[in-house]
Amino acid sequence: MDTSEQVNITQEEEDELLQELTPQLAQKRRSQGRIIFDRFLRNRTATMGAIFLIVLFLFCFLGPTLTGHNRPDDVNVTDPFAPPSWQYPFGADDLGRDFFARAMVGGQISLLVGLSSMLVAILLGTGIGAFAGYYGGLVDNLLMRVTDTILAVPLYLLLFVLSASFSNGSPASIIILIAIFGWTTSARLVRGEFLSLKEREFVRAAQTVGARNLRLMFRHILPNALGPIIVNATILVGGNIILESVLSYFGFGIRVPVASWGSMVSTGQGFFDNNPRLVFVPGLLIFFTVLSCNLVGDGLRDALDPHMTER
Amino acid sequence: MGQYLIRRLLQAIPLLILVSILMFVLLHLLPGGPEAVYDNPELDEAGRAALRASFGLNDPLPIQYLKWIGNALRGNFGVSYATNQAVTDILSQRFPATLELFLSAFALAFIVALILGTASAVRQGTTVDYTITTLAYFGISMPIFLFGLFMQDIFGVSLHWLPTSGTVTLGYIFDPFNAFLDHFLHLVMPMTVLALTFTARWSRYLRAGMIEVTKQDYMRTARAKGVSPGQILLRHALRNAIIPLITVVAIDFGSIAGGATITEGVFNWPGMGLLFINSLEKRDYPVLLTTLLLGAILVIIFNLVADILYGVMDPRIRYS
Repeated sequence: MDTSEQVNITQEEEDELLQELTPQLAQKRRSQGRIIFDRFLRNRTATMGAIFLIVLFLFCFLGPTLTGHNRPDDVNVTDPFAPPSWQYPFGADDLGRDFFARAMVGGQISLLVGLSSMLVAILLGTGIGAFAGYYGGLVDNLLMRVTDTILAVPLYLLLFVLSASFSNGSPASIIILIAIFGWTTSARLVRGEFLSLKEREFVRAAQTVGARNLRLMFRHILPNALGPIIVNATILVGGNIILESVLSYFGFGIRVPVASWGSMVSTGQGFFDNNPRLVFVPGLLIFFTVLSCNLVGDGLRDALDPHMTER
Repeated sequence: MGQYLIRRLLQAIPLLILVSILMFVLLHLLPGGPEAVYDNPELDEAGRAALRASFGLNDPLPIQYLKWIGNALRGNFGVSYATNQAVTDILSQRFPATLELFLSAFALAFIVALILGTASAVRQGTTVDYTITTLAYFGISMPIFLFGLFMQDIFGVSLHWLPTSGTVTLGYIFDPFNAFLDHFLHLVMPMTVLALTFTARWSRYLRAGMIEVTKQDYMRTARAKGVSPGQILLRHALRNAIIPLITVVAIDFGSIAGGATITEGVFNWPGMGLLFINSLEKRDYPVLLTTLLLGAILVIIFNLVADILYGVMDPRIRYS
């Protein structure tokens, strides 16, 4: 076999070859975050969900100040059920209140409760799951027993009882209640991740250098478990928004007259025949918010999945 | 197999005990304490102390717990504050309605999920798949009370096809056939509304399971040996993909105590969920807590059933 074959190509041909290969050779270096972001954007439905959520946020939190509709509780009994007009973009509800303003304020509360309860639940769940997964043995057993106990009790019933007895209708109490029983799924998830990750070599390596337990858990293992946690967190927001709206619908969550999408649906229910928009506006807002959360969550899961080939 | 069963049973018992302790603690934490309803504002301190003593509330907590458990195991769950009936009587009156709703919803959801999940998996990537997946997303994002209201408005109010609440039309006495039909018409809407979430979740689950199963090598072998695509689908793919789905169905069935609460509320269906909501307004704690306890017990039992089913259907689990 002649391995010392001379490749006779001209300078121009060599330039052309280099030209063709350059895009792959000179590919711009992207950070991991950037890669995930690009992959997420490629998923059209997830991107639409994300855009909807961003617009919704701006609508609910900046809307009242920007559009001047910032009086959701102004009862105006001379003008009940007013149809949509320039002054009342969504019309007026049964007590003459500005439905547009109520929708925005209700959104503020729903989003606030959804996000905050998710944050608390994730913090709790990650902490508990991390300890259970890392230490294993008795600690794991104990923590999982607690988790199973809480998971066994019917969630809605328990929340109804607790919110009826302990809550005074303030968002803070609802957030705490939802979070107390919402950490269980993320705890299980994090525990699973930690159980598998703690056997990996990088953990051994860090241990050899002298890293102590807490540092190992939160500086080394946790960043690698972040993917599923984030996905779970996003979907948890949607679930918590539904939970809050169900609680408010039955009168146990955010109490009237504070605006909340759930209680708006239940008051509008009585006037469904002539004014279906009193039910549809808050109801569809809940629906599309939760739908967007689910789409974004699934999009994130696909974007974070290392098994999908990079294009 | 026997060992597996015994292990799971032994794990369930401490869980039951823990749940009962949780319920007991809850009973004592709730405002007013267990004797709240009997509290007479005219009572002075001595009277109140006598009231507590008569309920045995001066005993140390562990003793109270043991007494409560002792009663519970004998089937005595106390008496409703509102109606003075035994709680077990009230619950057993309401349970059949919830059971009926749940069973029919489950049957509907299972059949539809089977069809949609299989269709979606077989035609992966096509318009059919895309439509079904989108519908599934809608199903899990839709708040149940909203969907119930929509259905009520469309089918009850606008079209007058279906009645919007209750189990029977009041004021009429039907002959058996018409009575059955009337009852069935009342069942249709709540059943469909309840089935929605389950259908959405299960069809996604089945789709994922089927896709994973069809990628396996033994499917290719079967096809190479000449098995027709239809037979492959039924006998190999579906048979294997349905195992995890059935365990999920069993676990979901465990949520029977509270799972239909919203639906029962919207459609005024006289089941345990509606009982719970009504008792809540009256702060009827014995009923509330017994329902919670019953719910937890059912969840634990059906998780056990799901594990056993999985072991029965998948020999690999038994021997691991």
